[in-house]
Parts: sequence; structure tokens; C-alpha cells
Amino acid sequence: MIEVKNLVRTFKSGDRTIKPVNDVSFMLEQGTLASIVGKSGSGKSTLLSLLGALDKPTSGDVLVNGVSLAGLPDGKLTEYRRRDIGFVFQQFNLIPNLSAVDNVMLPMEFAGIRKAARLERARELLEQVQLDPDKHGRRINRLSGGEQQRVAIARALANSPKLILADEPTGNLDEQTGEHIIELLSSLSRDHNTTILVVTHDRSLANKTDRRFRLQQGRLTEEAARSRAAAGAPA
Amino acid sequence: MSVLARSIGNAFRNKVRTAAVVAVLAVAIGLALAMLVANQAVAGKVAELNASVGTVLTVNPAGGQGFEGGGEPLTAEQAATAAAVPDVSTVVGTKALRLRNAAAAAVDAGAGGPGGQGGQGSQSATTVTTSLTAAVDAGTLGTRNQAAEGTTGATGTATAAPAFSVPVTATGIGAEVDTTGKALELTQGTGLGDYTVVSTGALLGTTLAEKNDLTVGSTFTVKDQSFTVAGLFDAGTAFGNNALYLTLPTAQTLAELPGELSTMIVTVNSLENVDAAKTALQAALGTDAADVSQGERNLETAVSSLGSVKNISFIAFVAALATAGLIILLIMVMLVRERRREIGVLKAIGAPNRTIGLQFVLEALVLVALGSVVGAAVASFASGGIASALISSNTATATVTTMAGQRGGPGIPGGMPGANPLGGASQLLTSVTASASPGVIAAGITAVFGVAVIGALVPALLTARIRPIEVLRGE
Repeated sequence: MIEVKNLVRTFKSGDRTIKPVNDVSFMLEQGTLASIVGKSGSGKSTLLSLLGALDKPTSGDVLVNGVSLAGLPDGKLTEYRRRDIGFVFQQFNLIPNLSAVDNVMLPMEFAGIRKAARLERARELLEQVQLDPDKHGRRINRLSGGEQQRVAIARALANSPKLILADEPTGNLDEQTGEHIIELLSSLSRDHNTTILVVTHDRSLANKTDRRFRLQQGRLTEEAARSRAAAGAPA
Repeated sequence: MSVLARSIGNAFRNKVRTAAVVAVLAVAIGLALAMLVANQAVAGKVAELNASVGTVLTVNPAGGQGFEGGGEPLTAEQAATAAAVPDVSTVVGTKALRLRNAAAAAVDAGAGGPGGQGGQGSQSATTVTTSLTAAVDAGTLGTRNQAAEGTTGATGTATAAPAFSVPVTATGIGAEVDTTGKALELTQGTGLGDYTVVSTGALLGTTLAEKNDLTVGSTFTVKDQSFTVAGLFDAGTAFGNNALYLTLPTAQTLAELPGELSTMIVTVNSLENVDAAKTALQAALGTDAADVSQGERNLETAVSSLGSVKNISFIAFVAALATAGLIILLIMVMLVRERRREIGVLKAIGAPNRTIGLQFVLEALVLVALGSVVGAAVASFASGGIASALISSNTATATVTTMAGQRGGPGIPGGMPGANPLGGASQLLTSVTASASPGVIAAGITAVFGVAVIGALVPALLTARIRPIEVLRGE
């Protein structure tokens, strides 16, 4: 379970103080598939970085299974990101000189998983995101944008995290692959009890999530929740 | 993929830049290694010089030297007095003999020539006959010298000089050293064992032995006594190799002058004490009885010059090493700045600071390893030239300084006006060979790696300060 309490993040810009995240509070049960929609610059990515412990809030707190992130030292936060979080970044943020499979193996290497085991898991995940096996060993900079997106999703799943934070996960994918990724995320939340929070512009993707939030000028409001079946999400 | 594999991959990420970095590092590392090799070579030479002739004093009878001059001969008692002087470590007595070929001496005597017994006045007792033929032909100089001696011969009559044979110098020695105190370099056979007892063994110069068809175990005669060749030595000069060595008591017996010495070779315990020991020795023996000289006085200048080269090469080694470290530091700082976002990605997906730091240190070491390979090759070719250049520039400086300092002063003992004041020392200086031995190269590369680790640690620590939020830079 993830609980967000009065989260505030401010930045100084000259004499002005900007509040991309302004007193945000919400709670997600484990296994929920949720989405946040909002205009560009509304603070979606900032909120994701606070939830993923990439950044520290100005005030407020994030509690993961009752544990406050605000009280954790850097080492523990690194461990939290490694063990409990999977990120899918808008610009993929893969390591360009490594192969697809090496990129997916990285988080497992940091988690201390043996090489043979992580290689097997990496190949399995790349198959799950439907990356052609011929391209598993190919360097990232020789893959298309859509293929890189799939590798990024596979990397986020590598350590079977409890929470996946995805920033426009279908943004660079064709309709068919996008549908497949939505299906994959949905099955992860349902079958593996993984909490997934997706930031998207894609209304159709947002409509397929359990809970839908809107972020506007730093403030979060929840739109009416729908059942997946009603939203037409894969069962 | 392990951290090491990732570091190697990163090192070759931009091949053009890697080649440029390796080239710059190779120059710095090559220079550092070349300086270290030069430093080691010079240090070895300094030690060799100090251990051989740098601390040797020569004592001659006052007013006499070799077969020239006059005065009273040195005695065993004076040798004991010299040995008791502070800082003197050893005293080796010598007794010089002139050996004349028996047949040539008979011809000279028949012709009324001057070279036979009595021809040298006071030195007659040290000129004896031998079956040996000199390895050096008389030539123009020998014949001229002989003619000059003929005018003052015992006969008192100037005569036309007959065909002349150069004498062979035999030296009785109290230890296995040559007349300058340097250890004899035996090329064949053994030494004479105990140099303080009469022996029938002899050590011959290589050309003298060759001229007389002698090898180790062959025999020859001196004053009708048979001697066996115990060993052959190479003095390095034609004059030096036309000589033989006997034990001191043997030479004294042949000269029929027991206890008499031609010279004493006094070794002082350290180069710093040579001047004080020389003064004390002169005082102990008396200026009217003995002349004390530092035959290789110019070696002090040579050693001093080599010491400068050693210091310069060490400073240059440290400077080149620091340069290599600085290059690594700057390159890695640049790479860390360039890869801030990538470091942010690694942190975002859970990489600990130590793993990221280690990755950058290993990447630096990969570059240093490549630079070291090329640098070692550079050093192996350049070290000799660099050492020579350093030595020649310092020798030239020392020469100019010494000559300027001596303007209007007394001449250099044994030297010629206007001659190189370093004399034979300059040959010793140029004889320094800087070869890149694996041990020295390994030591140098270890030092380079040590500096590289220090240079890479700073940027590696910088990575710890990069926050994972950097991953979102530009998003």
C-alpha cells in the first residue's frame, strides 16, 4: 500500500516560488492500476519522482507499507528504488552502449542476482514485452523508439517491484503494441498484486485503469473510479 | 555484465576520444617511466663509482711516482700508519717492476744501450728480465722515449738507439685490485688467492697473454723463476693489458727489496670523508715522506653531476606521474559531468554509490592500462636517449662550471691545461646505460596505477553527489 500525505514540492525560480506538487494526498491499495492525467508542466513527472524517491519533498510524506520515505537515509532510499520500484521513463533512459538484455539485467545485477539467473529473467521479460529475440543482444542505439520503450518496460519489471511508476509508457508505441503493454501492466497489477501508477496523455489508457487522477496546477483530484470490466480493460 | 565489463565497454565508447586520451597518457606515462629508468641507471652508476674509485687515495713516495722522480720508497710501517688513520677502510700496497725481455735486454747490453740494468739509475733494482715479449710495439713514441733516455744512460755516451722493445709492467699487489684500487676484471681463470704470501701464480693482461701464446695454466719466467698464469684480466686499454700482477711479497722478493712499496692504495669509508682522510693521511705520513693524491679526484665532480641527473630525473618522474594523475582526474571529471544523466539513471534503478564510483575508477584504470602499454614501449625506446641527453647537458654544465672556477688557479693534477676537467669521469658519465628493465618498468607502472586510482577517486566521489533526479533532466 502506498499512502501520500500532504505532499508539497516547491522550486525557486528567481523571486518566484513554483509549486508543481501542492498538498497532494491519496492512497493506493496494493495491486491497484491507477493513472494520472494532466497537461504538460502540471507536475506529473515531479509527483512520480517524489513517489519513486528520486527527489525529496519540501514537506509531506510518502509511506510505503507504513514506512515513511522522509525518514530514510540515502542508502535505504537506494535500496527502496532497487527492490520496490520500477521506473518507466518518458525518454526511456536506457544505457546507450549496452545491449537490450544488458539493460534489463542491470537492476538485477545491483540486487545481487547471479548472472545466469538474471540473463534468463531478462530474456523472459523481453519476450513478454514482445521484443524480437534477434534484438535482445542489439545495442540500444540500434533499436527503434518503440523497441526501446519495450526494453524500458522490461527493465522496470526486472526485480518484480511492488510499485511501477510509468511516465507515458505507450507514448512511442504503435496501437497494437500499446494495447499489449496495457494488457501486460493490467495483468501485472491483477495477477502479481503490483501497484501501477501511470502518467499519460492517452485517454483510452487512462480509462482502462482502476483509478484515475487529474493533476492541475499541482493539485490532484480523483475522477470517478471505474471497474476494469466497465472500462473494457482486458480481464 | 559485470562492473568491470561495463567499465571496459565505457572506456571504448568514444573511440576517437579514447585514442586521444591514451596518446596523451602514453606520453606522460612514457616520460615518467623513462625518467624512472634514467634515475635507476644513474643511481646504479653513482653507487658503482662510489664503491670503486670514488673513495680511493693514492700514496706515492714524496717526489716520486712510478718509475719517475726520486725520494725514499714507501715502507710496510708507513702502510700500517696509513691504516690507522680515521675513516681509512683498507690500505693495499703495490710494488712495481719493469720486466724486460731477456733476449732484447742482451741485445741492448751488447750495443751499449741504456735500457738494461743500470739504465734507470735508482730504479735498477726494479727492472728484471722475463721470457715475456711486450704486447705493445715500440713504435715512434717508444723509440723516441728510448732515444731520450739514451742521452742520460749509465754509459754517459749518446749513441744511436738500437731496435727497442717496450718493457712489461709487473705489479705486486696486496689485494685483487688494479693500481687505481678498482677490482680486477678477470676474464679467465681465478685470482691469486692469498696476496700476502709469495706465490708462483700471475695474472696477465689479455693482449700480453695473446702475444706470448699463453693461456691459464701456461708458464713463463721472470728473473729465471717459473710462473704459472692463474688468470687473465681485461684492463680495457692496450697499455693496461700489457701488464701482469703478482702477489706483493713475490714482487718484493723479485726486486730484492722486502717491505718496500711503490705505492699505497688507500680506500676511505665514504666519499664525504675523502677530503678529511686525505689531510689526516698526509699529516700522518709527513709531506717529506709521501705524496697523497686523489687520483680520481675528478670523479667527485662526475658523481656530483650524476647526482644532479639523478635528482632531476626523479623530479621529472614525479612531475610526469603527477601529470598523468592530473590527466586522469580531468578526463574523469569531464566524463562524470558528461554522464550525469546516465549516473542518475543508474541511481534511479538502484545502483549503490560505491558501484558507480567503482565503475568510473575501473574505467580510468582501463585507460591507464592502455596508456601504460604504449608508454612502456615509448620508455623502452626513449629512456636511453633521455638519460644521455640529461647526462650530456649536466656534464657540459659541470665542465663549464669547473673550468670557470679554475681560471687562474692551479692546474688539475695529472691533467692538461684546457683539457676536460672531468677527464676520465666524462667517459664514466657517458657509459651510463639506461635499459628499461622489467622490474623498473613494473615499479613505475605500479606507481602510475597508484596515482591513477587517486586521480580517479575524486571524480568517483563526485558521482556520489549526483542525485537520482538528474535522470529527469531534460524530460
